[in-house]
Amino acid sequence: MSEPKETIFETDEHTVPSTASTMTTFAILLALTAVALTVGFSNVGPWKALVSLLVACTQAGVLAYFFMDLRQADKLTWLTVGAAIFWTGLLFLFTLTDYLTRHMAAI
Amino acid sequence: MAASTTGPVAHHFDNLAQQQTTVRMGMWVFLVTEVLFFGGIMCAYTVYRIWFPRDFEAGSAALNVGIATVNTFLLLTSSLTITLGIRAAYAGNQKALKGWLLATIVLGSVFLGLKAREYHLDYQEGLMPTSKKVVVYEKDDEGQEHAIERSVFAINVERVLHEEKFDTAGVNTQRVQLFFIFYYAMTGLHVLHMVIGLGLLTWQLILAQRGFFQHTSRYVYIEVMSLYWHFVDLVWIFLLPLLYLAGSHTFEQAIHQFQHALGMH
Repeated sequence: MSEPKETIFETDEHTVPSTASTMTTFAILLALTAVALTVGFSNVGPWKALVSLLVACTQAGVLAYFFMDLRQADKLTWLTVGAAIFWTGLLFLFTLTDYLTRHMAAI
Repeated sequence: MAASTTGPVAHHFDNLAQQQTTVRMGMWVFLVTEVLFFGGIMCAYTVYRIWFPRDFEAGSAALNVGIATVNTFLLLTSSLTITLGIRAAYAGNQKALKGWLLATIVLGSVFLGLKAREYHLDYQEGLMPTSKKVVVYEKDDEGQEHAIERSVFAINVERVLHEEKFDTAGVNTQRVQLFFIFYYAMTGLHVLHMVIGLGLLTWQLILAQRGFFQHTSRYVYIEVMSLYWHFVDLVWIFLLPLLYLAGSHTFEQAIHQFQHALGMH
């Protein structure tokens, strides 16, 4: 008979967020959506795309941190999320540095 | 469903904490592949958007921003209802759990219904990428008629942009067509994810009906499925500015377009 093994994972003490905090997160997301739409429906010139994406990133951050519960996530999960952002960054970096500089090669 | 008779910890786990951590981890690793999956097409979009900003703005201006706005709120609310579902499962409130799962399914289904209506309107307006051409007769400066071959898509998109009062000077309709290929591919992939999500939600509703969540520690399965559902919402948060809000729109136009989509005038 084998002894019960100790878990190799970090202790996982998750608590489910209260309804009040869930509603607060939802209210923040609604407010950010209102900002996104106000920017989207206005004519702020060439900065519109950048501002829109910044708002979208903030929304994504709030959604991931509170609704997807990264708030309580262990280090391994944070590493996984970090890896996703890092590799997506590389994907964009190397693609854009190639495609957006090709005309420079035509000397 | 052997687990329901032997208890909530499956035989290959040491304890419940390890099982729950593993279950969460599995979904997060899957979501990494999803981020890269959507990242690929968004990266391609970024390259073309930087190359052809004016044409992509024109394509965006031809979209139904009213439906997109309503759908944004529907999806955001469904993220709320599924989160409340986790709490219900954690607290062992089976009735509330089923209610929140059902609410999420309803919100997701209405989103898809509106999206289908949007695709239908796009189809009716002729905003489908095509290589079809027609011969049109145009008069030159001396009043002489000439037969010219024109793209069907170009004629349709110019008509829609004219109705939207978008200045088409300098817009290359072939590049607008490229925008529409991105639009259908990106929203289509998102719709596919929504359909899969609705399937998962329905499956969990059936499980809830059969008493699977009587073991309150199984709330983690609702939580893990909610990670996927939130991710689908997250993708939409980026599709909204990239596709719909890239061009010029107004609130009045959005309201008008939504009423039009529902056949209110």
